[in-house]
Parts: sequence; C-alpha cells; structure tokens
Amino acid sequence: MSFILGLILFVVVAGIIDGKLPWPRPGAASRRKEPGTW
Amino acid sequence: MVAGHFGLAAGVKARQPAVPLWALMLATQWLDVVFVPLFIAKIETIEVIGGGKPGYGNGIIHADYTHSLVGALVLALVFALPAGLRWGRRAALVLGAVVFSHWLIDLVVHRHDMPLLPGAPAGTPLLGFGLWRWPVLTAAAELALVLWGGLSYLRAAVGVARAHDPTKLRRARAAGATVIIAGLVTLALNAVGL
Repeated sequence: MSFILGLILFVVVAGIIDGKLPWPRPGAASRRKEPGTW
Repeated sequence: MVAGHFGLAAGVKARQPAVPLWALMLATQWLDVVFVPLFIAKIETIEVIGGGKPGYGNGIIHADYTHSLVGALVLALVFALPAGLRWGRRAALVLGAVVFSHWLIDLVVHRHDMPLLPGAPAGTPLLGFGLWRWPVLTAAAELALVLWGGLSYLRAAVGVARAHDPTKLRRARAAGATVIIAGLVTLALNAVGL
C-alpha cells in the first residue's frame, strides 16, 4: 500500500505541481548551442 | 524501503533541475515497478521471516531478476534509453543512475537476498548488508533521506520560482510541502507494515 500510494503521491501529484514550476527544460542547453561550439 | 528512494530522487531534482520530477520518482522505483507484475505472476516472491505477517523489513525478497546486479543495470538501460531520446543524454545519464541507485540502497538494507546474476544461479553469491535487522535504524535512515531530499527540493523549487517567476512562489512551496508530507506518510505506512 505504501508503495502504490507513494507512486501516486510522488509521480502523479507532486509531478503535476512540479511541472508547472519554471524549471529549465531538459535538453534546452544543448539545443541552444551554436554549430561548431561545445 | 519505499520512502527513502523517493527522498533520494527529490534530492537529485534539486541538483539536476532540468530532469522532470515525475521521471525521477518513477526511475527511483523502477525496479519495484517491474517487480510487481513478476510478484503477481509468482516469478518473484517475498518470504516473511518467521512465517508471520509481513511487516517493515521482515522479509527475504526473492527478486532474482529485477534486483540482481545485472538485472538492475539492464533495467536502468531500459529506462534511460527512451529518456535519452526524449530529453537528451544528460537526462538519460541522470535517470539511469537514479534507477541503479535503487539497487545500491537496497543492497544496504536487504538480507543477503540480492543476486549478481538474473535468476540467482546456484553457486553465485547473494548480497545484502541487512540493515533491516535493525528496523529503527533503517527507518531513521529513510527519514533522513526523506528530509534531506524534501528540504533540498523545497529550497530549489522556491529558488527557481523566485528567480524566474515570483508568481509561482506559492506553488513552489506547495510542491515542496507535498514532497515532504508524501515522504513522511509513505514512510509511516511502510513502517507499520502497510
């Protein structure tokens, strides 16, 4: 029960609330790179 | 151990903010998520010590595929590959490492029931340092992980809201509180054997 409840609370509930925060987007840094740069 | 894995993932989010929280939370439990259908199919089982009721840490867990060293590495790869296609190499590395962290944490608490190879072939060692023999110590370690991860996440969420969109400060605090409370509730339920 703790496992299922944990998945619901952390993956679904916290995930939804967290998804609306202004975190950097995954992969955004690499997509912004200019060609030929590291 | 359930809540401790979630606590670790929350702490990772504070340091790798571009990786979605839900993916980190799923990654940290990925071995147990795959364990569930195998448990239902009786391919992997739990043997309660003393034959009594299942309780906090009082089981020998025969998760010979999902919780073998090689199995955990394969499951980390299975999780990381699609994540890499979706979010890039860095996210894939982080999520793969978080999947494998489950095996490392379980290694500390399990009682000599984690094989190196899938299926636990005869003659191969079973691993586990057995912290579960001291349930109070194990619960304290889980609580420490939950509080460290939850507070790290709360600080990071408030910081990112303050820096980029102060209108989201309340939501950031709510997210942090949700993570901490969810961790405490999960730990409490697990500790009483639910």
